Amino acid sequence: MQEFLEFTLGGISFGMIYAAIGLSLVLIWRGTRILNYAQGGMAMFTTYIALIVINHTGNYWAGFAVALAAGLVLGAVCELAVRPAEGKPPMNAVIVTIGLLILLEGLAGIIYGGQYRSFPAAFSVTGLRIGSTALGVSRNDVFVAAAVLAAALALAAMFRYTQVGLRLRATAFGPRVARLLGIRIGRVLTLGWALAGLIGALAGVLVSPSTFLYPDSMDSIFVLGFTAAVIGGLDSPLGAVVGGLTLGVALNYAGGYLGSALVPVFGMAALVLILMVRPSGLLGSASSRQV
Amino acid sequence: MADAGGNGGHLPAGDAGSPAGTGGGPAPGTGGGGLADGVPVLAVQDLVAGYGEAVALGGVSISAAQGTVTAVLGANGAGKTTLLRAISGLIKVRGGSVLLDGVDVTRRKPEDMARAGVAHVPEGQGVITELTVEENLRLGALIRAGRAVRAAALEQAYQQFPVLASRRRKPAATLSGGERQMLVIARALLAAPRVLLLDEPSLGLAPIVISQVMALVAGLRDSTGLTILLVEQNARAALAIADRGVVLNLGKVAVTAQAADLAADTGLLNHYLGL
Repeated sequence: MQEFLEFTLGGISFGMIYAAIGLSLVLIWRGTRILNYAQGGMAMFTTYIALIVINHTGNYWAGFAVALAAGLVLGAVCELAVRPAEGKPPMNAVIVTIGLLILLEGLAGIIYGGQYRSFPAAFSVTGLRIGSTALGVSRNDVFVAAAVLAAALALAAMFRYTQVGLRLRATAFGPRVARLLGIRIGRVLTLGWALAGLIGALAGVLVSPSTFLYPDSMDSIFVLGFTAAVIGGLDSPLGAVVGGLTLGVALNYAGGYLGSALVPVFGMAALVLILMVRPSGLLGSASSRQV
Repeated sequence: MADAGGNGGHLPAGDAGSPAGTGGGPAPGTGGGGLADGVPVLAVQDLVAGYGEAVALGGVSISAAQGTVTAVLGANGAGKTTLLRAISGLIKVRGGSVLLDGVDVTRRKPEDMARAGVAHVPEGQGVITELTVEENLRLGALIRAGRAVRAAALEQAYQQFPVLASRRRKPAATLSGGERQMLVIARALLAAPRVLLLDEPSLGLAPIVISQVMALVAGLRDSTGLTILLVEQNARAALAIADRGVVLNLGKVAVTAQAADLAADTGLLNHYLGL
């Protein structure tokens, strides 16, 4: 029972990271029908920027804020790079985003070197306990979950209640109608990518204390975040969060009860299974799609 | 610069601005002139457009005066929808020009045409079904400056379309075909356009709903001085309310005439429209 509690809470913390990556993928997918393979690389790059700021200023939160801002900018810049491939056969965008990923990882290697670097956590990473019962999560894990949850709720509120959110949704669901109503959808798509860059940057900063930071440190996280998004249906923000939590908890059970070496295998198995059984995801719309 | 003029927000909507005096046209600097007699609000000259290799419009000229309904008729494939798409910038124009109040607006992007005052209500799927009725309507007013202006326009739309007011929080997907047509027209009006391009508003509607929609279109012209291009498969319904009629055939203008004359000419309608 004690183990079960530990695995569950720990899984939620990791699941929130997958949810954040999944959310960033959903933001871009909804607007452009492009799967951004560079999302992990973008998050890695902004985390390096955060590390440099933290090392220079000695202030974690300065690095945190700069990483998020850098994520916004990098997202917008990447959209401009991908724009020529929008509306073309899907494979064009796949190639461009994979190219971006290679570029970012290569640049990181040149600028920062390939060695593993440790990245500080915002809060203590020693396990919390109630009385003598270990909970399996630290203060930092709670912060991770809360930060992603807050970001997801803020996004949801923006989508639902603001004019910018209305533009984003109209562009995602009816780009042609949106243009006929005078919405400059190019700018809206840039904004969507910028927001995705921000959420990805958040995920990078939050996950790096437990993975170390190196040029391809986000690759496996990207795969799991992608799986989370697919579980949720790829075009549902709520689905990405639910998918991330489901995946995080399931993988933590698998790792905890069966051995941690099996976690990557189970991650891929979950992806294949969901694509075979329910390709539209748990909360996605049923329309067919090409990835 | 002409974009900014169209975004100024002082366009006729509901206040029946008289054609001669107040004018709703571009700011003086844009040189478009007022609404002097003789300058049609919308003038299409020798417009050529198509899809890929195929030329769907082979040099079409149409002009529409302030406060008139022009019915654009023709068989399937005559080029009616292509004409509207070429005007609003949804497809590439290969030749000819589009003038709005005498200002050349050929090849502008759809979003810029909307901001210049041309509202295009496309055929069929104009409602964004994932949004609520109110969100759809708010989209229409987005290009207007000022929160208060937008809110007032929304209230006016609800007064004009009570059916939409009672459904404002419902997903647009729950509306009937007739209600959806009301919604897309109301949404287009929220932008306070000078020109309304309507593509087959009667499509898939019951006869009684069609006559409601046509009465609405005629009422808009009479009360707001809107200039309307009405593309219709249903020639009789369209000609009953239109001022002028244009028959397209294989991408060219076959006939232009007063609507009443056209409606009376059964031989001609039979020839081009199979009626």
